[in-house]
Amino acid sequence: MSLFAWLRPRQPRLNEHQARRLAQLPGAVALDERPLNAQRWVVLDLETSGLNVNRDQVLSIGAVVIEDGAIDLGQQFERTLHRHDHKLSPSVLIHGLGPSAIAAGCDPVEALLDLMEFIGESPILAFHAPFDQRMLSRALKDSLGYRLQHPFIDVAELAPQLNPNATLREAGLDDWTYYFGLEASERHHASADALVTAELALILFSQAKRQHIDSPLALEQRLSGWRRRQQQRQLF
Amino acid sequence: MEADKNNLRRCAAEPRDLVEHMSKMDAFAQAGKTAVMQNIQGTMQFLQRFPPFNQMENTHLAFLVEQCQLRFYAADESIIKPADGPVEHFYIVKQGRVVGERPHTAKRGTETTFEITSGECFPLAALLGERATRTEHLAAEDTFCLRLPKAAFIRLFTLSDVFRDFALRGVSSLLDQVNQQVQRKAVETLGTQYSLNTRLGELAMRHPVVCGPETALREAVRLMHEQQVGSIVIVDPQRAPIGIFTLRDLRQVVADASADFSAPIEQHMTHAPFFLSPEASAFDAAIAMTERHIAHVCLVEDKRLCGVVSERDLFSLQRVDLVHLARTIRNAPRIENLVSMRGEIGQLVERMLAHGASSTQITQIITLLNDHTVCRVIELAIQDKGDPGVPFSWLCFGSEGRREQTLHTDQDNGILFEARDAADAEEIRSKLLPLALHINQGLAQCGFTLCKGNIMASNPQLCLSRAEWARRFAAFIREATPENLLASSIYFDLRVVWGDESACEQLRQGILEQVADNRLFQRMMAENALRQRPPVGRFRDFVLTRQGDDKAATLDLKVQGLTPFVDGARLLALSNGIGANNTLERLRQLVTKDVIDPLDGAAYEEAYHFIQQTRMQQHQLQTRHNLPYSNRVDPDSLNHLDRRILRESLRQAQRLQASLTLRYQL
Repeated sequence: MSLFAWLRPRQPRLNEHQARRLAQLPGAVALDERPLNAQRWVVLDLETSGLNVNRDQVLSIGAVVIEDGAIDLGQQFERTLHRHDHKLSPSVLIHGLGPSAIAAGCDPVEALLDLMEFIGESPILAFHAPFDQRMLSRALKDSLGYRLQHPFIDVAELAPQLNPNATLREAGLDDWTYYFGLEASERHHASADALVTAELALILFSQAKRQHIDSPLALEQRLSGWRRRQQQRQLF
Repeated sequence: MEADKNNLRRCAAEPRDLVEHMSKMDAFAQAGKTAVMQNIQGTMQFLQRFPPFNQMENTHLAFLVEQCQLRFYAADESIIKPADGPVEHFYIVKQGRVVGERPHTAKRGTETTFEITSGECFPLAALLGERATRTEHLAAEDTFCLRLPKAAFIRLFTLSDVFRDFALRGVSSLLDQVNQQVQRKAVETLGTQYSLNTRLGELAMRHPVVCGPETALREAVRLMHEQQVGSIVIVDPQRAPIGIFTLRDLRQVVADASADFSAPIEQHMTHAPFFLSPEASAFDAAIAMTERHIAHVCLVEDKRLCGVVSERDLFSLQRVDLVHLARTIRNAPRIENLVSMRGEIGQLVERMLAHGASSTQITQIITLLNDHTVCRVIELAIQDKGDPGVPFSWLCFGSEGRREQTLHTDQDNGILFEARDAADAEEIRSKLLPLALHINQGLAQCGFTLCKGNIMASNPQLCLSRAEWARRFAAFIREATPENLLASSIYFDLRVVWGDESACEQLRQGILEQVADNRLFQRMMAENALRQRPPVGRFRDFVLTRQGDDKAATLDLKVQGLTPFVDGARLLALSNGIGANNTLERLRQLVTKDVIDPLDGAAYEEAYHFIQQTRMQQHQLQTRHNLPYSNRVDPDSLNHLDRRILRESLRQAQRLQASLTLRYQL
């Protein structure tokens, strides 16, 4: 045994079938100039054991698909992950995933493989996307040794960009849900949050098209421009 | 530490309640075990708030949701339009509002034909007819719709009986559900299923007892006695009814000392008995019995007797019996007897409503019984005060004239007589006025409230000769002042309740000719008919007003709901030479005369009917709770289905008004 073995990242243990599935996962595709309606999107929401992206764990995953400019209720993803070392923390008060639910959850390797197959090569939409991106990246790296490269678009950034007149500061998903008069069946559940985020995204896409932003790439460019201006504004 | 990154700020500000979330934990543990995903479940729960989804099996509903797309339409965005070709999807509004815009018949802009909100579906007729929609469907505000592809719709159609039934019958199946609700309520209170719409064929369970015309009276009575029936029908060899003999006839025979019981029954029977088809309803039979004062109706199919329905068959389940009531009214010896019978009319109406009778049937019955009461009051007044010695006709106006009375009714009446000249008229008037006053007071005793506006026969200006009435009516049409327009909306619905009808018909012909000739008067009447706007808004369900210190805002079913139909139908009828008074009858004849489109006519009729029904149920409820009568209703007090149909009905009133605006270029 090498002296430096403990320094090398621990390789996740996958069985043969899982390894084959991992190998067959499609790679990420960069955002392009096709019309918004022609792009398949996956809207993702994670419930985690906390907000620390380096330490906390993904507990459940909800995802819905926007395809043909609409939410396809037939394509949905919903998994609770089994975490053997999961401790009850105050965050249970938010996501409601108690120890029993976590214990009854499925193997994270299988769940994450399922998720990546579900996502395919589609770009990902999420509310406060950088958080989901980092949590999911770490989970994929730990469990599968997979490097997440899919582009993420942050709905929390898109909403104020397209609605400059909305006087919401640091608005959360609840605020935007309320702002657009959306009805959420059951919130703080990965699936329900993903659905309401997707509904929000449909409204925002409709607004974007009216402003002649009609491709995933244009959307991304508009967002980075806006991000730069926001940063400059903060500097001065 | 908080784990909901979606709502960082909010969560920090609002610590959650532990207990609530512990119970939620259990719910989640449970949810993990069920196969149906959270969002599918959520959407199913949403749909289950509305018919027909609330009656569908869970598996069928889950199938529906899983096949759906959820689509967003920004305000004013077109969802489907005629140019899209055959409809490929079935839509359910999840949130927001969809309106139907159809080009105006006169090619000027568009009109909103309907409004669809949460839980409602479209476009059923086009989808089933495999054609394009005739109406452009637009999002009236930001709207989410569930969209089901046609293939899945067809699959669901074959899977679910409830869904198929709903799809095939559309809104009329909603109306059916309302009727079923009414009937269910009736069953709850009466403990039995019985409807005035029952086929007579179903009511006449027993074979009728029959004999030939030569049969001896004694033999016929023996047959009746053996079979324990109250009537025997005399038939010819082809079994066609030629007469009927009832227990009432037998009483007469027995009372006659010289009667010969061996004589053929032919000599004692009532010839050519009244008959109906077995397809006719219990209500038809009840009306016939009340009008004709008979207790038995023969059922005849293909000219052959197939049954007899007796008064007892019809009302075996009712304590108050209509025929008996009508007969008692007509034979009441004194005003006091009539007064006590008003209460029974109230009970009868209550029972009929409970039995699922329609508003049209009830107004018809009330009109019939009120007419009987008025006639009897007049006869009694003549007995009391002596015959004035001049023939006269008793007229009624307004809702009584239109045969649209409810239980709470004002007197609107007058007298019509023939006179040689002005002096003669004056003399006759002086003879009739004291009698008229007596009649008005008698009617007031019977519950017909005295008219505040003094539209009563005892008013010398309303006790007129035919020539005087004709002059008065001509003036209304010639000088269309606001007062005259209001008067014409009351007096032009005139009808004779008692006395000769020919003079009144002459007056009516005069009115019709003059109105048809006077386009200006028609226009003024049209303006008048637009004064009451149906209380539905473009952006809200209902436009409500708060009265005094009422807790809830309300709308007036009579003034805002029925009046637009009544005024519109009157105007169109008078302008097109239609002599009928009743609003529904006017609408039907307008359709026959091609003045209004058959589909529109049917829609107006259904809408009018529903508003009237809601109003009567409201009155019934008020009586039960000892509240004063009011036509105002708080739509929120209605159930979802009733509220939705009421809104649609009021929208039809709006359409009728829009068509008048166009017709008279207002």
